[in-house]
Amino acid sequence: MTFKFGLAHAPLTPFENGRIDYAAYAKILDFHTRHGAEALALPMHAGESVSLTAGERQQLLDFAIQHVAGRIPIVAHVSEAGTEIAASLAAHAKKAGASALIATVPYYWTPPQHMLVEHFEAIGKAGALPFFVLNTPGDMAGVEFPPKSIVELIHKLPNFAGLIDTSLDWQYMIEVVTVARAERADFQFVSGTEYMISASAVGATGLVSSLSSVAPELVRELYDLCRAERYAAARPLQEDAASLFRLMRDGGVSALKAAAALVNRPCGDPRPPLVALHDKDGLYRSMSEAKTFNKEPRGWS
Amino acid sequence: MTLVLKGVMQSPVTPLKADFSPDYDTFERLVDFHVRTGATAISWPHHKAESHNLTIAERKALGEVAIKAVAKRVPISIHVSALALEDTFELARHAQASGADAIIAITPYFWKYPSEAIYDYFVKLGTTFDLPLIAYNSPSYLDGVEFTGELTKRLIDKLPNFIGMKEASFNSEKFFEILRAALPLRPNFAMIAGVEYLLPSVSLGGAGSYSSAGAICPNLCIELYESCASGQWERARSAQYKLSQLWMLFRDQYPSSLKGGCVIMGRPVGPTRPPLPTASNERIKFIEKRLAELGILDTEPHGW
Repeated sequence: MTFKFGLAHAPLTPFENGRIDYAAYAKILDFHTRHGAEALALPMHAGESVSLTAGERQQLLDFAIQHVAGRIPIVAHVSEAGTEIAASLAAHAKKAGASALIATVPYYWTPPQHMLVEHFEAIGKAGALPFFVLNTPGDMAGVEFPPKSIVELIHKLPNFAGLIDTSLDWQYMIEVVTVARAERADFQFVSGTEYMISASAVGATGLVSSLSSVAPELVRELYDLCRAERYAAARPLQEDAASLFRLMRDGGVSALKAAAALVNRPCGDPRPPLVALHDKDGLYRSMSEAKTFNKEPRGWS
Repeated sequence: MTLVLKGVMQSPVTPLKADFSPDYDTFERLVDFHVRTGATAISWPHHKAESHNLTIAERKALGEVAIKAVAKRVPISIHVSALALEDTFELARHAQASGADAIIAITPYFWKYPSEAIYDYFVKLGTTFDLPLIAYNSPSYLDGVEFTGELTKRLIDKLPNFIGMKEASFNSEKFFEILRAALPLRPNFAMIAGVEYLLPSVSLGGAGSYSSAGAICPNLCIELYESCASGQWERARSAQYKLSQLWMLFRDQYPSSLKGGCVIMGRPVGPTRPPLPTASNERIKFIEKRLAELGILDTEPHGW
């Protein structure tokens, strides 16, 4: 039971009249499969997982697995507030044919460390697939999955395969790689942002990319240079990725969806409470400041 | 004014006698040790030198000792940050008069103020004194007060003597934001990691680091820098993982445990002034065990 992360794309979830637009989703999945994805992680926060019902999440995953039909692996994101609900999503993902699972700390609650371990243990056991914890304290009221708890979970959960990090915190990143690999030599450290130079230098072997919806070529090239450890050559690309990252972080899913529409891959508006971005021209101007942006594909081909 | 900083720079601790008074002789020996073991520059007194626990008079007297001990072999910068800005300017005047090669200053302590106040402060420092100026960014210790790329650009435009930044956010996004703002305007601008997180910073274009563990393991610090600079990333990772473990060991109540570690290495530098604790014998034994596990005792110099 191994799953090597590599470059995973995190697709958007398209809506029409408030419902998931499966015709558009098929086009999105095909687009990512053709433009550098080695796996798809879905629905991540960029795919508005939090705004989908449990039923929709299962249906979306079933659809993706059937549509992609083994061309590349599908990783299911099963984060929830309640442990049982997350565990049942994980069990479904396993039955549906997902290749791995991702979960972050419970929404809303800010549980103490031992409860985080119990939460993840229950999800990982229910899913019985390679299990990845998503550490994203900036999104989760500062709650991080501390290195000590990582070691504890390694002892409790044989399928705990790695950690995806968006903290960008050098102290945390290096501590995780050091202590986790001392316990489990093949523990994977995966970057959850496109700050790939520093992540790769400290030992990341994969990336979950949200920018891949708007700049898949940049992401692919940056990823390849970093995996080849050609960091000086990667720096101009890292600058472009940093510019786009900032735009998309400030504007969130609304900006990602507006940007996708600007490059002729419309995915509809985000679901409430998120609001559609109105200054699309301003966004386009800012995106164009990234030097590589005009080389990115337009449309679905 | 052409001071280009790079590599592993050392910021010595402040040796104290048993009665907590400054130990000038040991300080001289420590500064000399750093220069002999490969420091590309010296900078004193950073927070690890208990800058806040020294009087202004002590800082001046010890600063003179440091400048004399370095004896022009490498550049030396004086950290002039104090709670009251009057003291900061007094320390900067003294540094310039005493022959320092540069001054370094953090964003002012305690108060909350707009970004414009940071700009005004550094412009005043940089125009009052001719010395090269290094800024110090440490948002996690100063409740989010920090440099931005934009502010860095404006200061570079305004100040020909603004030559570098000690960046201690330990965050890829912040470090790279400032670096990519600065380097196009001033290619020799030195982005210096706050402690030796050289692997994630040099790969992004950083110039080097101010060291935390240099008094313990100068060889390991230099091995890390050299392997990053020459692109030997596997070797760099192994050195970085060790140095990161050391930082975790020393970080809390810094520099108490670091000073405790110096005892093990045969370079005792005395106690730490309150409110920081002095490492207990028990703590020193624990540090010794960790240093042994990490192989430091076999590969690093013992004694002066």
